[in-house]
Amino acid sequence: MTYEATARKDSAAPASERTFWGRLSGWGPYMALATFVTASPRRQFLLLAIFPVLWVLTQHVGPMLQMLRVSLTDAYPVAPGVEQHLTIEHYLKFFQDQLFWQPFFRTLSFATVFTFCTLLLTYPVAYFLARHVSPKNRMLLLLLLLIPFWVGEIVRTFAIMILLGNTGAVNLVLKWLGLIDRPIPFMYTSFSMGVGIVYLTALYMLLPLYSALEKLPKSYNEAAADLGAGAWTRFRRVTLPLTLEGISSGCTLVFLISTGFYATPVLLGGPSTTVFAETIGGFFHVAGDQWPTGAAFAIIMFVAALLLTASFQKIMTLLRKGDTR
Amino acid sequence: MTRHNRILLSCVYWAFVAYVFIPLILMVMMGFKDSKFIGFPIKSWTLDWYTGVMGDAETLTAFGYSVAIAVLSTVVSILVGTWIAVLLEGRSFWGRAAIFGMTVLPALIPGIISAIAFRIYARLLGIEPGMGAIIWSHAVHNVPFVVLVVMARLSTLPKSQIEAARDLGADPLIAFLRITFPYLVPAIMGASIFCLLLSFDDFVRSFFLGGYEPTLPVLIFAKLKSGMSPEINAIATVALILTALIGVWAERFTRRMNKD
Repeated sequence: MTYEATARKDSAAPASERTFWGRLSGWGPYMALATFVTASPRRQFLLLAIFPVLWVLTQHVGPMLQMLRVSLTDAYPVAPGVEQHLTIEHYLKFFQDQLFWQPFFRTLSFATVFTFCTLLLTYPVAYFLARHVSPKNRMLLLLLLLIPFWVGEIVRTFAIMILLGNTGAVNLVLKWLGLIDRPIPFMYTSFSMGVGIVYLTALYMLLPLYSALEKLPKSYNEAAADLGAGAWTRFRRVTLPLTLEGISSGCTLVFLISTGFYATPVLLGGPSTTVFAETIGGFFHVAGDQWPTGAAFAIIMFVAALLLTASFQKIMTLLRKGDTR
Repeated sequence: MTRHNRILLSCVYWAFVAYVFIPLILMVMMGFKDSKFIGFPIKSWTLDWYTGVMGDAETLTAFGYSVAIAVLSTVVSILVGTWIAVLLEGRSFWGRAAIFGMTVLPALIPGIISAIAFRIYARLLGIEPGMGAIIWSHAVHNVPFVVLVVMARLSTLPKSQIEAARDLGADPLIAFLRITFPYLVPAIMGASIFCLLLSFDDFVRSFFLGGYEPTLPVLIFAKLKSGMSPEINAIATVALILTALIGVWAERFTRRMNKD
């Protein structure tokens, strides 16, 4: 068919049939589908809603509910012909052995300390970016910090191993400066684990702090200065209270993430720094019969982490309210 | 006073830059060390570790496996996430808050707990540990991020455009495909890259849901546990350069999108 013929055919056709979309909307099966879907606003909404609702219920909530169910059964997987019983014995196991609750409390206290360290480390950085850098350069300097955070957990953990090892860079520099004769054993301690976890989570603290500080108008500080407040007072009475929201969301995020690390404590920690994630993971390496205990421990950890972050946020809200009086 | 503060704070910033970059730079350097032992000082340099890795079937397989998992799980996350975002944005209905809460749930569960919850649920669904299970867990885990990014973009779509399309005779499906979807493309691209990187870098889910085939992070982990050699540095460096490049490109891409 020549070009003219095509053009003539096109112009002869009704306007609605010329384009792909026109042809589609005139196509029989599609018309049937469209009438079916749009018969009533109610049906239209139901068709739109049914898949997402089923998805979040079965895929997002389902795994947690099944974990809860497994944690309450006496044996899993269920052997054929054996009746299943509900039990809380797996939860009780947690309190009976020091080997279980010690890593649990260690995880929570480590996560708290690491979160606090991350906050202390990133607050000045966020402050500098938001208050002392021109908006043009701000994005560039922030991007520079984002690059390493695209790199995966394992690779960055490995990088910390090279930094802190007995023949690592820190020990080399210390030796070269003549400060030490033999290497300091940084690795496989809570220190190396802390450096690693702070390294992995710093960005999740930096971004909420940065956006909170950026929103804060400079005029507030100027007003405080006009009223005679010194630098420290301005920070304590103006900047800090008004960025509590960023602090609270950053801390919550970092706390939740650092309780969930598995590979980093395995690679950077030692026997004396076993965290609860390793305890839980242990139940899933050996043959499946220990799953209910592992599931129960995971539920304990999840509930504890949620309770702690929720009460932390509550305290922060109260602090904020107290300051706006 | 302010000047002093500024100098002090810029020192803190550059110290922080050093803190986040130096470990990675050292790791990359170590991949060129001409010795089997990881550690400083590096006396002579070689490219052998890289050529070794390029010819190593195990590493290449793991790499391909990771890429395939990342791509397939991203496709699922994007389809589901966009659908959920379209349902949730700009509509108010009974139970919306509950659905939103359930949508973001997977992003809030600490890594190890999410991994074993998926492991238990995979058995219930009858999914064997392996590629399918990993793809499924990554897809579910990444949906919340897609929903949040797409919802943010959707909230800026002028309602008048949809109304105009409807007035001109488009049914809701065509209006979605011709107006809403093209408007969402930049957000979907950004979310895709984010999902690809999350999946490619993920360790804990791949570890607990994997079969005998390791993904790249799982392979590096296994090698690290059995003993360190500069070979791991070469593998990790390749993974690092790839993820950093994609990340930087995505960052530029989303910035250009926001300017439009």
